[in-house]
Amino acid sequence: MEILAVRDVVKVFGDVRAVDGVSFTVRSGTITGLLGRNGAGKTTTIRMITGIFYPDSGAIDWGGARSGDFRDRIGYLPEERGLYKQMNVVELLLFLAEIKGRKGPDVRKSIDRWLERFELGEKRAAKVEELSKGNQQKVQLIGTLLHDPELIILDEPQSGLDPVNMVLVRNLLRDLKNEGRTILLSTHMMGEAEKMADDIVLIHRGKVVLDGTLEQVRGSFGKNTLHIDFEGDGEFLAELPDVKRAAIVGNSAEIALTEGADPQRILEATIGRLRIRRFELAAPSLEEIFIEKVGQESLQEVA
Amino acid sequence: MDKMFAVLKREYLAGVRKKMFIVMTLVFPLFLGGVFFIPMMIMSKGLGEKAIAVVDGTGSLRATYTKSDDLTKIGGESGPVSMQIEYADAKGQANLDAFAKPYLDRLVDTSSHNAHKLDAVLVVPATALDSSDAKLKFYSRSAADIITQERLASITNRGIHAHRLELRGFKDEEATQLLASAKVQGMQLSKTGEEKKGGTGNFIAGLLLCGLFMFPSFIYGLEIMRGIIQEKNDRVVEVLVSSMTPKQLLTGKILGTALIGLTQVTVWLLMASLGAGYFAAGMAAGGENILRFLHPMMFFYFVLFFLLAYMTYVCIYAIAGSACNSDKEAQQLIGPITMVMMLPWFLVAVLITNPDSSLAVGFSLAPVFGPMTMFLRTLVADPPLWHLVVSVIVSILTITVFFRVTAKIFRVGILSYGKRPTIPELWRWLKLA
Repeated sequence: MEILAVRDVVKVFGDVRAVDGVSFTVRSGTITGLLGRNGAGKTTTIRMITGIFYPDSGAIDWGGARSGDFRDRIGYLPEERGLYKQMNVVELLLFLAEIKGRKGPDVRKSIDRWLERFELGEKRAAKVEELSKGNQQKVQLIGTLLHDPELIILDEPQSGLDPVNMVLVRNLLRDLKNEGRTILLSTHMMGEAEKMADDIVLIHRGKVVLDGTLEQVRGSFGKNTLHIDFEGDGEFLAELPDVKRAAIVGNSAEIALTEGADPQRILEATIGRLRIRRFELAAPSLEEIFIEKVGQESLQEVA
Repeated sequence: MDKMFAVLKREYLAGVRKKMFIVMTLVFPLFLGGVFFIPMMIMSKGLGEKAIAVVDGTGSLRATYTKSDDLTKIGGESGPVSMQIEYADAKGQANLDAFAKPYLDRLVDTSSHNAHKLDAVLVVPATALDSSDAKLKFYSRSAADIITQERLASITNRGIHAHRLELRGFKDEEATQLLASAKVQGMQLSKTGEEKKGGTGNFIAGLLLCGLFMFPSFIYGLEIMRGIIQEKNDRVVEVLVSSMTPKQLLTGKILGTALIGLTQVTVWLLMASLGAGYFAAGMAAGGENILRFLHPMMFFYFVLFFLLAYMTYVCIYAIAGSACNSDKEAQQLIGPITMVMMLPWFLVAVLITNPDSSLAVGFSLAPVFGPMTMFLRTLVADPPLWHLVVSVIVSILTITVFFRVTAKIFRVGILSYGKRPTIPELWRWLKLA
């Protein structure tokens, strides 16, 4: 069931068409990855969904007929994060719940539960400015989830996090999904999106260039990508015939083959030069798809 | 409505918990009181005793300076200083300046072994009784000791007049009767025929109340401006505007801030009433009714026009806050505007002394300047009802328009983190939102 449908929305700032006819839907109980480079139009799209901007044209449709402020159905973690630094944690969370139309003893109980879950129980009376940056982010995340939103919108939730907190957020998203919540995850980190998202919406220069389920998207690019893990110096892989493009990072390579190429030829070429640990022909990674879709387009536009 | 209230509550609690609020609430009236009342207290209670030598070239004025009641009271009003007069008869002295020299030396010598210090020396020339050209010479260490100078001149002239009358055959009591002067009491006559005691008291009350009127508006205007900029810089604002409409947010903020101001003014009015009660009790004991110059309607007008002025100024500051990204930028934008807004304050002396002039009427009916000028007029004059009504309506319309403009600029400006917008850009925002 669709919880949200964005229909052909356009937002123009001066001469810039920041969002230029974007359409996509968010299915209930899934994680939808809103992908794109910085400045692609992700945040502007989100701001139209959250009611901060009105679209110049197009519509945002919410599934189901329910009265009340549509804003209360959203939990929004903006990319630019910030809190009232002078307030104490509980006061602040109560305020954040109240502006989403929730107050009373239930909210207090819910605050206690969340603070425990994030191991912030001891900090409940502390002023926000006294918390570490990571803890401030956790508090803001709690503020986003406190009113049980139907749709959780997270804009670059992992930017600026250390690896430990990154895993924490990743696990949290998984837990939230398992609890049946719906998440719209905006990110430029393809690897993260690939680990978590069910559906993909790829935005480039204000337009949707690709969308569908993760499987559909990857399947549509065919199984002509080699994933190789190895020991040794693999730089020569990029120079081999039949290699359209190679992304070689340390001891692993993702190689896009030309049409009709035989992967066996690549394997033969590595013998005697590399110790192969993994050799797999599979669908391309999101990162690869992203470069394929967006990188080429950008190059064409430059030329 | 609930969301607006949540913002209002947060703003209010955050505001009244600030140290600045507490300091302002308690210290500002003391400061204002100090500025106005300490000089008044000094004026009435006295600067202490002054030692004065009178070198009398006529030799006929001894009685003038030795009648003690004349020295503490002039025309029935008690003066600021009491004077200890040392009389020196210099009748027939050819060189009066030479005769006065020792006294002047004592005036100049401030060292501690001088047991007979003087604060002033008055030299009365021998011709003082006959000639109208004669000049009294008043020497003091401070050129600005005009209070003592005036008092002494007044006493001496009374003495001279009395002596001239005596020379023409009037008896002492007759001379006193002839010289008795009438006092002036300032009265304000309202249209209802009710008499109020006016004058200096009203003038000072006017200044004082205008101070109470203006400063909270400017201080909390600045607060709301900083608050908005702070929210922008702290990036809290995106969470806020994704949870409610900018109008709800702005209404909550402005009303919350208004409530802070109102709380402060209420405390001040309570403090003032206590002070006034104390003052009134003293006045009542002296046979004066304080309500003759502080009428109860004044409190009503104060609250009414205070709120109108406050909301107007706060909206203007909120516009600046929404449009700018740093305190510094906002100060630059708001500086000149503040100067214009403060025009009635700069003109307060003119307005208060000419409350029915066309300038005062024009100002009191104009937007922005209206509330303060109108309040001043109600204080010292009795403006027609339609002036009051028009002024209030103009102010309410001004606030409504300002509020809408603020809400629009707020909506667009609040998420723009770039440069300070130019006036044409602001205009575009207005049309955009």
